[in-house]
Amino acid sequence: MADEKVSNHVVQYLNSVELLKQGAEARVYRGKFLGKPTIMKERFSKLYRHPTLDEKLTHRRTVQEVRSILRCRRAGISTPVVYFVDYTSHCIFLEDIVGSVTVRDYINSTQGSETKCLNLLARKMGQILAKMHDEDLIHGDLTTSNMLLRQGSGGEEADLVLIDFGLSYISSLPEDKGVDLYVLEKAFLSTHPNTEVLFDTLLKSYTAASKKAPAVIKKLDEVRLRGRKRSMVG
Amino acid sequence: MQMTQTLELFPGHVVTQLLFKDVKNAAELRKSAMAGEIPGALINPSMVVDPFQVLVATNKALHLQKAGKMKTRTLYSEIIFNLSPTNNISEAFKRFGISDSDDAVQIPVDRVSSLSDTAKIKKLYKVTPQEDASGSLLDAVICRMATKDVL
Repeated sequence: MADEKVSNHVVQYLNSVELLKQGAEARVYRGKFLGKPTIMKERFSKLYRHPTLDEKLTHRRTVQEVRSILRCRRAGISTPVVYFVDYTSHCIFLEDIVGSVTVRDYINSTQGSETKCLNLLARKMGQILAKMHDEDLIHGDLTTSNMLLRQGSGGEEADLVLIDFGLSYISSLPEDKGVDLYVLEKAFLSTHPNTEVLFDTLLKSYTAASKKAPAVIKKLDEVRLRGRKRSMVG
Repeated sequence: MQMTQTLELFPGHVVTQLLFKDVKNAAELRKSAMAGEIPGALINPSMVVDPFQVLVATNKALHLQKAGKMKTRTLYSEIIFNLSPTNNISEAFKRFGISDSDDAVQIPVDRVSSLSDTAKIKKLYKVTPQEDASGSLLDAVICRMATKDVL
C-alpha cells in the first residue's frame, strides 16, 4: 500500500531516536526536528480493534489533540508548539520544553517547605485552568505531571505549560469542567499528600479568575459526592 | 545570505535558503518560476518571520509529495502553499509568492527577520492579542501552518 510507504520515513526516523515512554495510547520519543529539540508522540495502531474503527479513532484523537493545543495558544495559554503532524503514522511533532520540570516533581522537591512559592504556583494553576475552561476546553487528564514549569528566560516567574491534550475535548457544560477539576483534585491529593490547603488555594484562584466558576464549583461539589461517572439510574 | 539545513525525516534532502535584496526583475523571475524553470520556490520575505518557517513548510511539502497528497502541482508551489494559514491556493501565491513589484526575493536565509512585516503577518495568521503577549510570533505562525489542514 502507498500508505505504508508513506509513513515509512516518519516511522524510520522514530526508530532512530530515543524512546521516552510507552503508554496505552501512544509512544513518546525525543529527538530533533529541523535542528530543534522535539518530542514526537506516535499513536500506534491497536490490533485488538477493528482496523477501520482503529484508524478512525486514532485519526480523530490526533486531530483533536492538535486542535486543542491551538485553541489554548490562541487564548494565551502556554503549550508546546506543534511543528509537524503526520496523519498517516498519526505522529505529532511538538516543541520539547527544554529545562522544564513537571509541577509534580517541583512540589515533591519542596517537601512542603517554601509555602510561599507553592501558593503562588497554585494560584497560577487556578488562573490558567480558569482561562482554559473559559475557552470551553476540557483537558480530560489534568494531573501535576501534565503541567510543566519552564524557567522564564528573563523574568523570575516560571511559565506554566500545559501538555498532553490527548483526552481533551470542547464542552461548555459546568458538569464537564467540574469533572475536569475533580480529576485534578484526585490526582493532586493522591500524589501530594496533605496538600488540601494548597488545592483550596488553587480553587479559590480559579473562582476569582472566571465568571463562570461558581457553576463549575457547584458541580465539583456534586461530583465529589457521587464520583466522576454520572448516575445512569432513572 | 545563505542557509542550508538537512531534514531529519528525509535523509538525502537538504534545503537551501537564499535571500536576494534589491531585486529588479521580479516580474521576469515570477514568469520563469511559473514556467517551472526555477528549481526552487520564490518567496516574499516580508511574510517570513524566521527561516525555520520555510523549513517547516518544505518538510511538509516533501512529506506530502511522498504521500502523494500534495494540494498543488509541484513541490515548490507546495512550499508556498504550506506557508499560508488558509487552504486557498491562489491566495497563498498572492501573499507568499513574489509579485512583480517586489524588490526582495527569498529562495528556500539567515536574519530575514529584518525584512518581515510583523503587522501584516499577525493579521494574516490571525494571531490573538493574548497569544501575542504570551508567546513568540514565530511559534504562533508555526502552529497555524502545521495544523491548518484540520481546522
